[in-house]
Parts: sequence; structure tokens; C-alpha cells
Amino acid sequence: MADAILTTLLQNQLDHISQQMGWVMQRTARSPIFSESHDFSCFIADAKGQLVSVADGIPIHTGGGGFAVEAVLRDFGSELAAGDVFILSDPYEAGGNHLPDWTIIRPVFAGDRLLAFTCNRAHQSDIGGGAAGTYNSDATEIFHEGIRLPVMKLAAGDALRMDVWRLLKLNSRCPHLIDGDVRAMIGSTKVGERRIAALVEEFGIETIESTFSAILDHAESRMRHALSGLPPGRYSGEDASDTDCFGTVEVPVRVNVEVQADTVKVDFTGSAAQIAGFKNSSLANTYSAVYVALLSFLGTDIPRNAGAFRPVEIIAPEGTVVNARYPAPMTSNTVYPATEIIYAIWKALAKALPEQACAGWGKAAHCISSGADAGGDTYVMYHMHAYPGTGAVKGRDGLPSLGTVITLGGMQIPNVEVFERKYPVRIHRQEMRCDAAGVGEFRGGTGIDYEVSVLDPATYSFRGEGSRTPSGFGILGGGTGAKADIAVRDADGAGIDVPQYGVQSLPPVEIAISSTAGGGWGDPHKRPVDKVLRDVRDGVVSVDAARMAYGVSIDPVTMSVNIPETAALRA
Amino acid sequence: MKTTSVRAPWRIGIDVGGTFTDLVLIDSAGEVFAYKSPSEPANPANGILRALEGAAARLDLSLAALLGDCAHFIHGTTVATNVLLERKGAKTGLITTKGFRDTLEIRRGYRELMWDHRTPWKDVLVPRSLRLPIDERMLASGEPERTPEAGDVAALAETFRNEGVEAVAVCLLHAYANGAHEQICAEILRREMPGVYVTVSSELAPIVGEFERTSTTVANAYVAPRVLPYLHELGEELKRLGLKRDLLLVQSNGGAVSLEQISKRPAALALSGPAAGLASLRHIGELTGNRNLISIEIGGTSCDVTVVNAGNVAETDAISVDETLICLPSVEIHTIGTGGGTICGVDDGGLIFVGPEGAGAKPGPACYGLGGDKPTLTDAQLALGRLREGSYAGGSLKLDKSLAESALHATFSPVLGENTGDAAAAIIRLSDLSIQHAIEKVSLVRGLDPANYVLVGAGGAGALHVADVARKMGMRRVFVPRLAGVFCAFGMCNADVRHDLVKTIGARLDGTLCESLEDELRTLEQKGAVQLAKDGFTLNDTRFTRQVEMCYAGQQWPISLAVEKPDVAELRRRFDEEHERIYASRQPDAALEVVGIRVSAVGQLPVHHLATPPVPEPIAAPVVRYRSVRLTGEAGGRENVAVLSGPDLEPGHFVVGPAIVEEATTTILIGEGDRLEVDPFGNYDIAIALSSGESRNG
Repeated sequence: MADAILTTLLQNQLDHISQQMGWVMQRTARSPIFSESHDFSCFIADAKGQLVSVADGIPIHTGGGGFAVEAVLRDFGSELAAGDVFILSDPYEAGGNHLPDWTIIRPVFAGDRLLAFTCNRAHQSDIGGGAAGTYNSDATEIFHEGIRLPVMKLAAGDALRMDVWRLLKLNSRCPHLIDGDVRAMIGSTKVGERRIAALVEEFGIETIESTFSAILDHAESRMRHALSGLPPGRYSGEDASDTDCFGTVEVPVRVNVEVQADTVKVDFTGSAAQIAGFKNSSLANTYSAVYVALLSFLGTDIPRNAGAFRPVEIIAPEGTVVNARYPAPMTSNTVYPATEIIYAIWKALAKALPEQACAGWGKAAHCISSGADAGGDTYVMYHMHAYPGTGAVKGRDGLPSLGTVITLGGMQIPNVEVFERKYPVRIHRQEMRCDAAGVGEFRGGTGIDYEVSVLDPATYSFRGEGSRTPSGFGILGGGTGAKADIAVRDADGAGIDVPQYGVQSLPPVEIAISSTAGGGWGDPHKRPVDKVLRDVRDGVVSVDAARMAYGVSIDPVTMSVNIPETAALRA
Repeated sequence: MKTTSVRAPWRIGIDVGGTFTDLVLIDSAGEVFAYKSPSEPANPANGILRALEGAAARLDLSLAALLGDCAHFIHGTTVATNVLLERKGAKTGLITTKGFRDTLEIRRGYRELMWDHRTPWKDVLVPRSLRLPIDERMLASGEPERTPEAGDVAALAETFRNEGVEAVAVCLLHAYANGAHEQICAEILRREMPGVYVTVSSELAPIVGEFERTSTTVANAYVAPRVLPYLHELGEELKRLGLKRDLLLVQSNGGAVSLEQISKRPAALALSGPAAGLASLRHIGELTGNRNLISIEIGGTSCDVTVVNAGNVAETDAISVDETLICLPSVEIHTIGTGGGTICGVDDGGLIFVGPEGAGAKPGPACYGLGGDKPTLTDAQLALGRLREGSYAGGSLKLDKSLAESALHATFSPVLGENTGDAAAAIIRLSDLSIQHAIEKVSLVRGLDPANYVLVGAGGAGALHVADVARKMGMRRVFVPRLAGVFCAFGMCNADVRHDLVKTIGARLDGTLCESLEDELRTLEQKGAVQLAKDGFTLNDTRFTRQVEMCYAGQQWPISLAVEKPDVAELRRRFDEEHERIYASRQPDAALEVVGIRVSAVGQLPVHHLATPPVPEPIAAPVVRYRSVRLTGEAGGRENVAVLSGPDLEPGHFVVGPAIVEEATTTILIGEGDRLEVDPFGNYDIAIALSSGESRNG
């Protein structure tokens, strides 16, 4: 019976350790993608490669790390030693999710017995390939996307293998960043190792090993408990992209979610075949996306470890967009098709529990620009200020601009002032859109009007997923959020045609993006009149839309509500 | 407490707490007089006047004499904090650069607890309809590109006027580099809207980052019309009653400042109350002869952890008060939801949780008998015999052990069996672990080793946890102040007057930069000297400290280094060392960037030392009774533990643990072999018995 106490203690302690690893990483890494945006995850696996603590990191990394540790065990299992450090990235061969995410894995020993792995998965600033900044939207094979890393021994006896080190730096356009960032990753796994060694000293290895399995069992029973709250049945859902990166084509992710007592089967049979462009998913990434969909829908405090995944069966047919065959390109997969996977499952679950349903977050439509900075180094700028609005849930309106659903708001948008100091740009606008949000009792996030001048010639990787079809779907009578628009003009104001996806070199340009808005939840006529009035006064809902969509009549001059007319409109 | 005559001139410190207003007077000979009276939350000024009247009567002085011979009157206030917590601030307008009306509401698109995507954000302090854009542009270099038109600003002022706005914040892009455009707006606003409070970001917080700067400036405008009139009235009233000096207020950074100076930055009072309280820690440092302290203050709902390093309370650049971010220097208080009323239970997977929910004051812990049926930390302490059963606080509260036990039994017996003691012990152990994690967080972030620190236990429940937590962390010494409230007021009496001046730099470290840094630092010092002169300080009693904030290019968390004269090689060496000490790595090839500089201008009040009483001979303390207590979290039985009564204990008394000391508002628990001694000032000084190889992690 005392096991419950020990298990709780050790679970808290392990989560504390993985959070501490993340803390060290965030403060010592040098790329903005880590230090500002936290695009990395620290986790701890047991000796079999099962994730026991995933307390730190962005949602779309959840759960996928197990594939990587298993690959280390497969390739080096018989010769692991204390002081080894491994690195890997390849999604086909090495348990990676996509190439830009490099994973550092360090085996942790108690004496000569393998006990655990401390790991850090982090999105690198640049890994070579066809476009600076890792996102080559022209790619048609994985070879166009950058260096592929099998499981490699990066250090032995805690000494770096300099040949491997030089190989890594040689294959990046930003070797100075790779140097600092990978050192920070290694440092974080070292901190984790030290802390686990102290645990072994206190509790002894047998206790720790048995507690690892108790921790997993606990998460499993929490997950089963949560699943048993869903009415048993078979629920279908579908969400589609409208492009394969080269032309307009429907690319659906179809899912059947089968709930039986306290287990769930998530079956993607019937989803689109893999596509030409880089929006194909690896198995590791598809599993992660499924876990994000289920955990974000069901509850926030279920431990996100391998135990929680046991009652979840995933069927992802090979050769489809959710489990592509070599050599399909797949760098975009952590966003697309991860978003389609999440939405297909959310839509299926909405049929099971409508009150708990989540409206769609807008799919992003923006670009990455890169060029040479004043010192001649390559810079890569993500136009993050054009992030889309989120969907509503019961009890909360959508938020104006919050990254994409795969981060659930865990990435911070940099300040405009910081970007203007760092990059050759002048940003003119970052404001909430009017009448774009999906209407509803709880309305969607507004999305953003973003305008920027890029002052020097630069290369652009366009990623316009949300710019053709509205993607912030509504729930229970809630409306769909508006799609995104991108307009690019040269210095003389002449329009430049840009692709939905693709890489282009352009002279100094002005870019205007209206980002995608989120979907609404529930009947807009049920939205309290004072909230509609506030939205109108705030200029995010027009007087006309208040009347047409929300059934609220507002005098545009006095900004007062015409109560009888409103009652009639809402009757 | 002495009631003998006091010698003029004296200094008075007043700390207004939720329940009591504490007054401390230190006279010119270092004698201390303390007085306590009930607070009046509805009008704190009344509580202050009541305390002054009571103290005067006790000292056989007229109120006029008490105030008339007061050389420094220092006050810690929670007025600004409460305005922010209760959202009762002014109707506030905001002027932003055209195109950036929504910086405040977009909040950089970040949710710290990302998995909890369903909880709404609190409303921002200024609705969009009152966030108005002005057509202007300043470049990152500080070069003006487009100056705001006077007519445009006047039009905004008219809108604000029509809307009944009481305060206006101005935050324009890149104003940290050049505040000229903000000044243009402010002048016109002041002219067009007399009586309306106007505040600009470039004066208040000239830091890079428009979101953080906007949020801070807005908070300043929001609290000003509620806080300043109240403080001015209090100051006037005190003057009318005989005070000849300016009222001094404790800022969030722990330094004092005159009312006139705080008028430009009332948001700097957001943590005035707690910061005043922490002033006592510096004093404890003096008493213990160890100026490295970590304090855990545990009350009903939370545990506040604070580090004092070499006599300085740890500081942070930003605090969040109920989701409002304020980027002004502040004492750092790391708060976790572990308090006496924290609810414990078993989750649906069979593991134990402690918090984060709390039972509040009502219904409170199950043992209060006010209808709470969920077990809390207090219930666990009571069930283990660590807390005394029966009535507290003059009978207003009664702890019923049987209620605690039945709540524990009902919740935990399905998982932990019939022995409620096991459940209670587990809860204590888990909460101790949370406190340890919090201590690690605040100390490791600075590269400090807690083992070299004294652990201070404060608040109603701090002293119950402090010895066990210290033991787990390898800390050898524990200190429990006897008169905590009085200590705060006493610490405030010795607070220095302080102004922080910052400047953003954002450039690579090299020789040329170092030369200009020296100039910039001097400029800031001159500004500080001018402000201190207004406070009545001459150069003889002022002190300046300089800090340079640096990071490896690209990092987001700078490290601050105290400097005398900036020098490239020296800064490089010290930064690499500090980085290695805190993060266990250095990057010798990376370029170094100077993020900003800071000068603290300190006006030093003459230090009042306590008159030191003689050190008494050690003598065994009297034991009142023995009680059956379960001591540690390990499975095990109970022991008969010595129980001592706090009021019986005098300087020199000692006891070797296990033992319990019961005070009116707290209970101290020491373990096997720990030695508690009452110091010459009546505080509890505890030596912790560390077994060799004591774990510092579990």
C-alpha cells in the first residue's frame, strides 16, 4: 500500500527533473526557436525505451520520443555505456518525427545496469536542404529536406566525437547556432543524468525500476478512467488539406474513433495516399498527433507517458499521408498533417461529447524569410506575428493569435521591437481582424492583420495552408472562421504572385497577411448582448454582423442596443 | 515589550497586514518598541492611525509628540496590490503606435499551462475601444521617422474625455530608445485633460519589448487614481497630526521612496506589502551572522519562497499580479500552492495528490468543523499529533482531531488502508517535496547551493515543515523568528531609500562599447543622484551599484554582473564563469551581447542596530507535557514527544529534539537530534542533525 506513496513521490521527482532539463535548455540555447519559442521537449525513458516522464515540451512532441529511444536500443543496445550520447533525426530509419528535430539521447546507468535514458528533442535552426530554416516547401523527396541522421554516437565517455561534430556543423547554414544549441541539448541530458543518479542513491535501483512500471500503470488507469467517460460507439471524423504543395487537390485525413469501455481504437483507414509535397507524416509524428488530440480533448492532468498510451490502438495504413513510405518528404508533418489528424479526431469526439467539443483553430498561412544579416551570417525569420486565431470551447472565446493547435499556445510570439532590431524588416501592423472570427455563443479567435516591409532581398518559403479554404470549423451552430489572405507587393506597389507553398527569391517587398480566424462554439443568438456590444465597440464585430449573425441591433452612432428590435431578431 | 521612555529622534515603521497592523519604533539608542493593533481592510489608513494612537498611549506620549519626533516614517502598503487583485482600478485609456492597438490583448500568444487550453484569460485592463492608435513611428535605432501630429493627439484626448477615462497610458514602439514621441503625447494629454493621470512607458520602464512595456504602463495608469489620493490623504493626515517628515513607502524592490517620487510609478508598489515583510530577512541575516538565507513562509493557501544572498533579497525584473505583468524591479517571491488549507486526495488512477486546490478560510480544513469534508495539510498535521487539538486565537477557532481523522479515513482508506496516520504522513512528505522543489528552483536558478544557507520558517505553518525540509536538503541551520510581524516592521525601519534606473543597450561587447557604457552608467548615476537629492540625501550618504546584463548572442535570459568599471576581458571572464556556475556549461566561441545596464541609487538611512542583550547561559527548557506524535514520513509508530510552551521560553533555553514548541500563531517541530535554542532576542535558532550522506534530493 505504501507503493502509492512512493510512486507519487518518484513521479513528482521525475517530472521535476524533466522540467529542470527543459529549464536548462531554454536558458542556454541560442537560437530564438528554443530560447524564445521553446520548440523542444525533454523527456525520460526507462531501460526498455518506454517514456516515463514527458513533463516538459510542446504538445506535438508528446509520445513520439519512444520511437527514437527504441532505435538507439536496436542499433546500440548491446554496447551502451555510461557517458555515451546519441543523436538521431531520420523518421524512416531512426525513430525521428521529421528531419529538423534532432534528438539527443543519453543512457543512464546505475553501476553497470542500464536504468533510463534522458532525452532532448529540439528543432534545429538549419540542417541544410533546399531552403534555409528547414522548411523546403518545394521538396519532393526527403533528400531535399536536409541531412538525415541515423542513430549516431555523438560522444563516448562524455567526450564529443569531433568527426561527427564537424559533420553536423558542416551540413548547416547556421553552424554557430548548431554549436551552441546542441551543446545546450547535451548539457540538459547531463543534468537529467545527475539527478537520476541521486535518486538511485536514495531509493536503490530495484525500487526505482519497479516504480517506473507503477508510474506507467497509474497513467494507464487514469487514461482508462478518462476514456470510460466517453459513450461507447464508433465515431467518424474527417479534415482535409486543399493542397499537396504543388496544386489544388483534396488531401483528406479520415478517422474512425471506436470507443469500447475504457479503450479506444483510432483507425485512419481511408485517408489520402501520401502526397508529392512535404506534408506527409511519419509514424512517430502521427502517434504524437493522436495523443495531442485525445489528451487535449479528454483532460489536462493525465500524465503524458507511455502508460497513458496503452489503451490507445492506432491503425495508420502504410503509404497514406499519415504513414508515408520512403522517400516521401515530410518536414511539414509536425504542423500538417498533424493538424488534420487532430481535427479529424476532435470532430469525431465532438459527436461523442458535444458539450466538450473544441472548435477548429485557424490553420496558419505565413512565410519564412531568410537572407544574410549585417555580419554575413544566414538569418532565418519566421513571420510569427501572423499566427492564426484559436477556436472557441464552451466557456471561452477563441484567442486572437496563438500559434497553431499543435503547440496549444506553448510557443511565444516574439516582440515586434525584437524582430526589428534583429532582422531587416519594418513591421507596420499586428492587429485583430474585424468580422473574421467564427460566430457563436463563444466566438472564435479573431486572427490578425499583419503588415511588414522586408527591406532587403530575401528568400521566402511560403506555407499558405490556411489561405484557400476556411479551416476554423464551428461547433454546435458556431460559425467557421474566415480563411487567411496573403498579398505581396514590390517597392512600386505592383502585386507579386506567390504560391500557396513554394520557395521564391524576391526583391524588397511589402507583405500583408490576414491570418486565419478560429471557429465559434454554440448558437450566436445565445451570446450575451453585452458581449456582442463590447465586440462592436471594440471593432472586432461590425454593426451589420451583430445584426445579421448575432441578432443584436446596435445604433452605429450612439452605440446603444435597440432592445425590442434585438428581441424580435432573436425570437 | 518595554513601555519605558524612548529617546528622540526615532524612526517608525508600519506594516499593514490582513489581520494586524504592526508598528515598530526604534529610538536613537537602538531600543525597540513594538505595538500591534487590528487592521481595517476597508480603510487601512484608519488602522494605521489607530496603531499610532495606541502606541502613543502606551508610551505615555501625545500623538503629536510621537509623530513630531519621528525622523523617518516608513510604510508598506497593500493598496496597489488589492486594486489589481480586485480589478477595482481606474477607467484607463491607452495610446499605441498605429497598427499595434492589440499588443496588450494578443499577449504574445502564450499560455504557460498549454495543456489547459479551456480556461479563459482574464480581461485585459484596457478594452480595445479605449486602446487608441496614433500615427507616428520611431525606429529601433531611436531615430524618429514620423512625429505624431498635435491635432491627432488632441482628438484622442477628446475621445478619452467623452468616455470618462481617468488615467491614460502611452506606450509607443521603440520608445525605450527615444521617448520623444511619448512626451509629445503626454504634454498634449496633460493640457487637454487636466486632472487625468498620464504615464509614459519610456519613463516608467524603458525596456525592449512592447508587450511587457505596455502591460507595465497600463498597470501604472490603472492603479494610480486609486492609490495616490489615498496615500496623499494619509500623508496629509499624518502631517496634520504632527509628522514633520515625508511619508516613505516601501517599493516592490524593498527600497523606500518618498510619496512624491512614487507618484510617477505607483505600479512599483504592487509588491510593497510582501517586500516590506522581506525586509526582516536582512535583519535575521544580521542576527544569525549568516547573510545567506532562504525563507519559506507557509500560510493557509500557499508557500512563498525567497532567497537572500549575501544580505540582498533576490530580485526579478518582472512580476505577475493576477495575470497582469509588471516589469519593474521587485523582490522575487516564488509561490507554490502548498498551504495549511491545501486539499489532498486520491486521483482516479490511485495516486495521491496534494493541491492545487485549497479549502480557503471557509469551509477550511475538515478539522475546523465548518463544513469542510476534504482532508487538508492542516488535518494531516493534526492527525499526526504535530498540531495541538482544541481552541486557537482566543477561542475563535477550534481544531477537532476526530474530524481530521475521519476526513483522512474516508478519502485514503481505499488506497492506503485503515491507518490514517500513513495517509497523513504521506501527505506531509509530498508537501515537503513540493517545498524542496520550490527551494531548488529559486536557488539553482542562481547557481546557489542551498546547503550553505539558513532556512527560515515563517507564517502559521512554516515552522512545522522547516526542520524536515532543511534536513532533506542538507541545510544545517534553521531559524524561526518569534515575532514575525514585528520583524517586518523592524526590517522596514532599516530600509534604504532606493531608485532603480535602467537602460537598454543591445550591442556586442567590445572596447568601444565599454567606453560608452561607462558614460551611460555615469548618466544614470547622475539621474539617481538628482532623485536622491530631492529625497534629502547628500552625496555623503548615497551609494550607487552598477550592473551589466549580458548573454551569449541569441540567449533570452541575461545574467547580471555587478561591475565597477566595465572592461571587456574582465566581463568576458566573469560571464563565462557565471554561466558555467549556473548552467554547467560555457560557450567560449560565442559572441557576448550587452542587453542593458542598471544603476541602483541608494540613499542610506543611518543604520539603527538593536541594542544587544547579553548572551545568556544555556539552560534546559521546561517541558510542559508529552504528546504522542508521529514524526517522520517513514512508516513507523508514534513517540511521546516533549511539548514546550513558547511564552515560557526565554533567551538561553534549549531543547534537543524531538520536540514541539507551541506559540500562539505557529507551532515549531524539530526532529531527532535537532537542537533548538532561544537566542538573545527571543528567536528560535535550530541546529539540524544531519546524518552523514543525508540525501539532498528525496
